[in-house]
Amino acid sequence: MATSLDTLLADHLLSAIVFLPLATVLLLALADGLFRLPETIWRYTALASSLVGLLLALALWQRFDPASSGMQLVERAEWIPSWGIHYSLGIDGIALLLVALTSFLLPVVLLASWTDIHARVKSYLFFMLALQTGMLGAFLALNLFLFYVFWELMLIPMYFVIGIWGGPRRIYATLKFFIYTMVGSLLMLVGILVLAWLHQSQFGSPSFEYYGANGGTGILDLSIPNAGGPWWQRQGFLFGVFALAFAIKVPMFPFHTWLPDAHVEAPTPGSAVLAGVLLKLGTFGFVRYALPLFPQAALDFAPWIVGLAVIGIVYGALVAWVQSDLKKLVAYSSVSHMGFIVLGLFALNPQGVSGAVLQMVSHGVSTGALFILVGMIYERRHVRELDAFGGLAQAMPVFAAFFAIATFSSVGLPGLNGFVGEFLILLGAFQTLPGATVIATSGVILSAVYMLWAMRRVFFGPLANEANKTLVDLGLREKLVAVALVIPMIWIGVHPSTFTNPMDRAVTELLETMTRRGADLAAWQGRDAADEPRLAAEAELETSR
Amino acid sequence: MIPAIDVAAVAPMIPVALGVLCLPMLDTALRATPELLGQRVSAARRGTYLASASVLFLAASLLLTLNAFSAPPRVFNPDFEMVKMDGVALFLMSIVLIGGMLTVLASARYLEHIHSNWGEFYVLVLSSVTGMMFLVAASDLIMLFLALELMSIPVYALAGFRRASLRSNESAVKYFLIGSFASGILLYGSSLLYGATGSLELSEIATSFDPENALDLVGAGLVLIGLGFKISSVPFHQWAPDTYEGAPTTVSAFMATAVKVAAFGALLRVLNVGLAPVSESVYGVLWVLAALSMTVGNVMALIQRNTKRMLAYSSIAHAGYLLVGVIAGGEPGVQSVLVYLLTYTFMTIGAFTVVSVLTRDGAELDRIDDLSGLAQTRPALAAAMSICMFSLLGMPGTAGFIGKFLVFSAAVQSGLATGSSSLVWLVVIAVLNSAISLGYYLRIPATMYFYPPRDDAQPGKATFFEGLALCACAAAVLLLGLLPHDALPGLSALLQMADVNVLQLASDAAASFAH
Repeated sequence: MATSLDTLLADHLLSAIVFLPLATVLLLALADGLFRLPETIWRYTALASSLVGLLLALALWQRFDPASSGMQLVERAEWIPSWGIHYSLGIDGIALLLVALTSFLLPVVLLASWTDIHARVKSYLFFMLALQTGMLGAFLALNLFLFYVFWELMLIPMYFVIGIWGGPRRIYATLKFFIYTMVGSLLMLVGILVLAWLHQSQFGSPSFEYYGANGGTGILDLSIPNAGGPWWQRQGFLFGVFALAFAIKVPMFPFHTWLPDAHVEAPTPGSAVLAGVLLKLGTFGFVRYALPLFPQAALDFAPWIVGLAVIGIVYGALVAWVQSDLKKLVAYSSVSHMGFIVLGLFALNPQGVSGAVLQMVSHGVSTGALFILVGMIYERRHVRELDAFGGLAQAMPVFAAFFAIATFSSVGLPGLNGFVGEFLILLGAFQTLPGATVIATSGVILSAVYMLWAMRRVFFGPLANEANKTLVDLGLREKLVAVALVIPMIWIGVHPSTFTNPMDRAVTELLETMTRRGADLAAWQGRDAADEPRLAAEAELETSR
Repeated sequence: MIPAIDVAAVAPMIPVALGVLCLPMLDTALRATPELLGQRVSAARRGTYLASASVLFLAASLLLTLNAFSAPPRVFNPDFEMVKMDGVALFLMSIVLIGGMLTVLASARYLEHIHSNWGEFYVLVLSSVTGMMFLVAASDLIMLFLALELMSIPVYALAGFRRASLRSNESAVKYFLIGSFASGILLYGSSLLYGATGSLELSEIATSFDPENALDLVGAGLVLIGLGFKISSVPFHQWAPDTYEGAPTTVSAFMATAVKVAAFGALLRVLNVGLAPVSESVYGVLWVLAALSMTVGNVMALIQRNTKRMLAYSSIAHAGYLLVGVIAGGEPGVQSVLVYLLTYTFMTIGAFTVVSVLTRDGAELDRIDDLSGLAQTRPALAAAMSICMFSLLGMPGTAGFIGKFLVFSAAVQSGLATGSSSLVWLVVIAVLNSAISLGYYLRIPATMYFYPPRDDAQPGKATFFEGLALCACAAAVLLLGLLPHDALPGLSALLQMADVNVLQLASDAAASFAH
């Protein structure tokens, strides 16, 4: 009996992870309709469900085999077979890390917002858990149709969370967020349709499957010309529409304008999840879809994208520097840090891409932590202006300590998580994009400038403001949340191989797929035949490390 | 000499037609009966009985229609093809009947609250539905005109049903004038086609159609213009916003869905059967109409403050999306139009029904601001409205997305097959228009959820029938959105019929269309 349950779970682990949150809230809603459950039941059940989700993610990690290639734990069920639309889920190393991040952040965020949200709590929990299902589904979907469904469905819970529990300009912010994101996705829909029907003209039947089912063909087997043929069948157009949707999500300059409003106006848990996970979906989209499917176009567009990434890094940092609102400062720092991730991705070498993926996880943890910590002080003082604070370290020393750790993590102090990712990105990017890397490194300095200056204005100096003198330090729940966030910061910083090992295979495969599908990565990386022996020796050195 | 007609061929239409005859008698009988089943027969109860009877007649027709799907097609008159009961006709008949049922369910209480609770309402609805059923099956020009008139004239009267309201009268007069004008144009076009080709049957017109002959082209053009009015495509759309806003809300629902479905059925048949030789040039013109309808509809809807008017412009925009499917043509195109019409019916009637439920004691709460805080005062209504709104904007997971997905898919397929980019451009325009439509569709859930309820707000409460209609719409939107393949196996098991697979039905219907 136990073993059959075990195998049942093993066969459907991914589905369980994806649908557990939604199933929980649907059951709660049903029970609520019949019995009128009190809010505390909802809160504890949601928290328990999110912790079970985290346990499932850990089980997934344990079951994941870092050495094998391709997708693992694949589940497939027929949905609309005549169009090649299937319910396909699968995981690779990169998705594993992001699923772990998502599963980790939800219980932390729920615990952090325990007293933050007090009106319409049941709806809030409903939307947060529904959002969780949407995000996990998008990371695990292997069918483009399914991916698109999850990609769009995520928007609805976020729309409601910002719109109902947000700040004064929440309605403007949430509409802007929704419309901006959906415009990009709608154009991506055209691209997806073209791909599916291209599959029909090349292989006889339409398919939205990324990898072929049962040895059949999938989208990844399509040969998409980079030149010649109608404009809408070329890699350029297809990459463009996919990249636009993802660039809006990341967000890349100049498509970032929805982010400051959405982050600032969203309630703390909303901001934490938005910055922690939703933004990563954009970069994940590049890694999973845009780069491997359209490699030649990716290389053609890469100079522009790298340019925009670098602009984003510097611009984000400069604007963050002049902010007087603490939450807006963190929001713009997100723009800056996501620029680093895109830079690492488009270095298109193992270090760059690994660094980018690791930084996705790191940034999720650091920025999530920063938003949660800002939320804690906002809950007490109901202001976020930097000049309303000062000398807080004297009133709330524990809070100051945790905020300092989060700041250093975000800045990239060696020993904490931010450093490893940033270092790998800069290392990788310097090999292929030296000029851009030099400019990007200034972003590291700038991030230290604005974060440390903000910290100084908030925590150090004289405790002048009367309102600040009576502030209560972190309670047990808040300390728990803070410690939970600090642990991965230290772990990633000190022992990153736990996190880089699972993704190594996936990163190599990404680059291999790009080369196999026609991208001249060697030229992009500036290599030629003379470099081969040196590079082979370097690769030897790395694998032996 | 009675021709050898097979009445059983048009069996689906018979129950509704019988209903038209029986309902007035039932109404009179009920008026004469002070007490029935131990309860006093008040005006409201009379309305409920009549509504139930109408639903029964419509359901009987629906049963016969679904039955006819699995049976081999019957020919009504072997000498002269007046109606063609093929898969497309049956599919659209089902949609029209479902639309009629939902309208009737939503109207019973609503009519009482707008002080227009007369039994004639149901007679008019059933007459119009009879006309629609013949319209989607009509395969000759006279039948087309007859059915069109049988469909339209009751709706003119229905638009003005709220006699005491100036807006209702205005809506009826506008609709009547423009609708009659459109029917006249259609009739003139038909006469030209008859003159040019010598035949009234659509299939024979196709064989004798001469693309060089001006008479043929003008006739075809006029017929299309007449139908264009009925589907409220730009530039023939001007009547729609005023008419939808002024008419009683459930009548607007009926007009927005069933009338449009039937008109699109006629359009499909005329284009694919009658005008097949010139379909290329016609599609060129329709391309422009589609692009204009989508754009004008969506842009104008952005500035509306009245929910019904906004839904009117939204239906103009959806006519544009549907035309994309019509232009895509072939089997995928026709299938996409059929499924889109089905999904569109559910979501639009759902939206209009929510507005009609809010009506109370003559006060119609049809401004968007009236929906403020509905999530807190009427959470179930707000949820139903949100589902319909997200479906109308095409959110994946809802039926609206499946409809749009199919239409865009058919267009892309057609573009790939012919190698032309014009359809792909149209899809890009459609997609950008969907983005524009977010601006007004999102306003409704935002108003309901993000704003507090108004102090003086007294929204109505739904009765059982309205609740049933809303549940059916919301469930259909979600089911068709998530499981379009087997949306109705449970229902078909209930009806002990062959597995009704919506997509397969539509696909089969499209495959055997015009052959």
